[in-house]
Amino acid sequence: MTARLKAEAVVKRFGGVTALDGVSLEVSQGAVLGLIGPNGSGKTTLLNVLSGTIRPTSGHVFLDGERIDRMPAYRVVRAGVAKTHQIPKPFHGMTVRENVTAAATFGAGLREGARVRDEVGRVLRLVELEPRADVPASALTVQEKKRLEFARALATGARFLLLDEIFAGLSPEEVRASIEVFRRVQAELGFGAVVVEHVMRAVLSVAHRVLVLEEGRSIAEGTPQEVVRDPAVVEAYLGQEAARAPT
Amino acid sequence: MRIIGSVWFRFREMRLRTLPSTLWKGWRSLGPTAQGLGIVLAVLGGLGPVLPVALFVFLILFMIYAAWAYSINLITGMTGYVSFGHVVFAGAGAYALAYGVTAWGIHPLAGVVAAGLTGALLALGVGVVTLRLRGAYFAIATLVTALAAVYIVSGTPALGDGSGIRFYLGFQIGTQYYAIWTLLASEIALTWWVTRGRIGLGLRALRDDEDAARAVGINVPRLKLFLYVLSGGFAGAAGSVFTWFNSSAFPDAFQLAYSLDMLAMIIIGGMGTLSGPWIGAVVVNVPRQTLLKLLPQGQPIVIGLLVILIALFLPGGIVGIIRKYIPEARRYLE
Amino acid sequence: MADPATLVASLVYGILLGVVFAAIAHGLNLIWGVTKVVNAAHGEFIMLGAYGAYFLNLAWGLDPLLAALIDAALGMIVGVAFYFAFLHRELRGKERIGHQTEMVTLVATFGLALFLVNVTTLAWSMSPVGLRYNPGNAVLGGVTVPLGGVYVGIASLGIIAATHVFLTRTYLGNAVRAYSQDITAAKLMGVNPTTVAALATGLGFAMTMAGGALLTVYLRVGIRPDIGHLYAPISFVIVVLGGPGKMWGSLVGGITVGVLIDVLQVFIPTEFAYAAAFLLVIPVLALAPEGILR
Repeated sequence: MTARLKAEAVVKRFGGVTALDGVSLEVSQGAVLGLIGPNGSGKTTLLNVLSGTIRPTSGHVFLDGERIDRMPAYRVVRAGVAKTHQIPKPFHGMTVRENVTAAATFGAGLREGARVRDEVGRVLRLVELEPRADVPASALTVQEKKRLEFARALATGARFLLLDEIFAGLSPEEVRASIEVFRRVQAELGFGAVVVEHVMRAVLSVAHRVLVLEEGRSIAEGTPQEVVRDPAVVEAYLGQEAARAPT
Repeated sequence: MRIIGSVWFRFREMRLRTLPSTLWKGWRSLGPTAQGLGIVLAVLGGLGPVLPVALFVFLILFMIYAAWAYSINLITGMTGYVSFGHVVFAGAGAYALAYGVTAWGIHPLAGVVAAGLTGALLALGVGVVTLRLRGAYFAIATLVTALAAVYIVSGTPALGDGSGIRFYLGFQIGTQYYAIWTLLASEIALTWWVTRGRIGLGLRALRDDEDAARAVGINVPRLKLFLYVLSGGFAGAAGSVFTWFNSSAFPDAFQLAYSLDMLAMIIIGGMGTLSGPWIGAVVVNVPRQTLLKLLPQGQPIVIGLLVILIALFLPGGIVGIIRKYIPEARRYLE
Repeated sequence: MADPATLVASLVYGILLGVVFAAIAHGLNLIWGVTKVVNAAHGEFIMLGAYGAYFLNLAWGLDPLLAALIDAALGMIVGVAFYFAFLHRELRGKERIGHQTEMVTLVATFGLALFLVNVTTLAWSMSPVGLRYNPGNAVLGGVTVPLGGVYVGIASLGIIAATHVFLTRTYLGNAVRAYSQDITAAKLMGVNPTTVAALATGLGFAMTMAGGALLTVYLRVGIRPDIGHLYAPISFVIVVLGGPGKMWGSLVGGITVGVLIDVLQVFIPTEFAYAAAFLLVIPVLALAPEGILR
């Protein structure tokens, strides 16, 4: 039985603002779902609901049939869903290795020192951060910090990763490299993922399916190629004129 | 829990013939700072019987202050949550002992234990509600609790109303000395333990970035509460020794000045460190008991200035300054 | 049960007291709302304002209302100085106030508070003083109201109203409001962040010290260096109740606290009334919007 992460009719209101207006999605372990949409469409809010960082106003989130939408974030992590931060939040006072160790110790719940060390080493090798393992996290470049976010999420042993703009702010070369790393790691570890992205190239390369949000509602879903040509999607991003123009 | 299990397991592994080498390895693993503190404690403990009374008194008061410093270090130092109202635990412990001794006739040592429990339970109650609040709001909530406590105690006849509770147990400074010594030693040991291993890692993560800590699966609320309860318990126990020493508990056991002293001690010494609270206690308490009897306000003024200086220019307190400017010291001072 | 007359009287006293509390808290509110800094030495400046009124009364027989004006001017200068001494270094250039800055300013102002309490104790000792000001009482609708309380109540309302006018009708005032909402946007509109922050701090202190002067009416023989230890928490409670940065919140919070203290005293012992008024803030914080929870 493959594990499944499911959101059902999730609504989130902040005071007078409705950030999510009944969004549903479903990801199986091993599949990558791209989540795109114009700014303010609710992508990050949706990730926050999925990860337990905030509670939905209504609607549910299920992990393997178990409701996780009312669980505190750290419990959701232990259950198997880990989220990265759009602006990386490394533990500045620790080295890269220690950052990942924290994730392996608490997120994955590994106890014996040897097992933790092995797992941390494995993750660092996978994301190609091993040469920088003993550097303080505060000294990393932007790309390295994003890799560290990724590594931490991996080290928690999560079956589902929620990646918030992990390719943003990188040079084209860095994007290419990061896509490579992601695809390799995902193929090897087989986790499911919801990837929020603005960098179209990344979405097209890594996602099996894509969900498009606009103003808190889902306006299109399908393969990356289908979605990119969908007039509703083009309109959401570029306005009506562009939608009418031939692709 | 698991900690007890692993300690017990390791304990059972020790055979008698390997005991000396195990002890030596244990000692080595403490690290220079803990060893240093351990030696100081051993000296204080050993010298007890031969000290002149004046020195006894001096050391009892010093150790009470040091115990308070270590207690607030456990929460404010380790997590960054500023407990402005920490005195409420000291006061609660003070009254617990005073009440127990007068109303139920218990032995003061039992009173100290009761005080510790009172402080811990109070911290549990307060913490469950307030630890969810952000920085400044937590500080205000604790402040308010301490203030309310003054009024509540002043208005409760069973607790002596505004006149407090007085008792007379005879001259017991020997027992008081070793009571506070035990408390202080336990706190230092606990602080050492909490900066190491799994909990140490979790704490560093928590202090660095609470949200990120949650994101890697750390049970942040439980960790904060655990530390707060411990800090409340020790503050209460130390406060009760203070009351025992003074043979009385008054509403001014809850006065803000004590909280401010506690905070000043760890700010000056270095928050979240192992030796910081001790250094802070020395800076805050020793001059007050010695030179500055002549000029009672002089010392707090200097303390105030020190706190300002440290906050603005020299974060990390004395320990932080030493570690920053004397790299060789980093191996020895934590 | 208490009779209606007593209740009404307590209500009136509570409102009069609460309005003064509101003025005192308003300074804290302004500084907190604009610079996001929580001034741990707030109480000590209330105390200084009170002493200011005392000395002005002693030397030149000035009543608290006049003293409040002078204190306000003093406060303005002190506030700006305070800004440059304590806050400028931390706030300069920052567009978002983080946890670190919060801590640093909290601790630094805490040190200042310690310093001030002890310097004043050294200078003026702990013996409480009071000033002579008794314009007598008036009887309004069967309730005996102390005129002193009425006058300072009106003055307090005046302070809050004046601040409101300043913030909404003047260029500088609007600049302050813009800054408090979004530093980056304010800068883009040509607002100098340093000017705004210093001004806000100055104003805040002006109000705090003026409020301290007005408070002396209620501190008949109780002006001591450590009164800050009582009035600072009261101010914090008021600001939290009303919402930091919400200007009318001070009034709402202040009156709530004042009324609670005075009315509750009719039913329960004084000490518990005070305790209850303080502890009220905790459930408010617990049920508050996600903004102040972790």
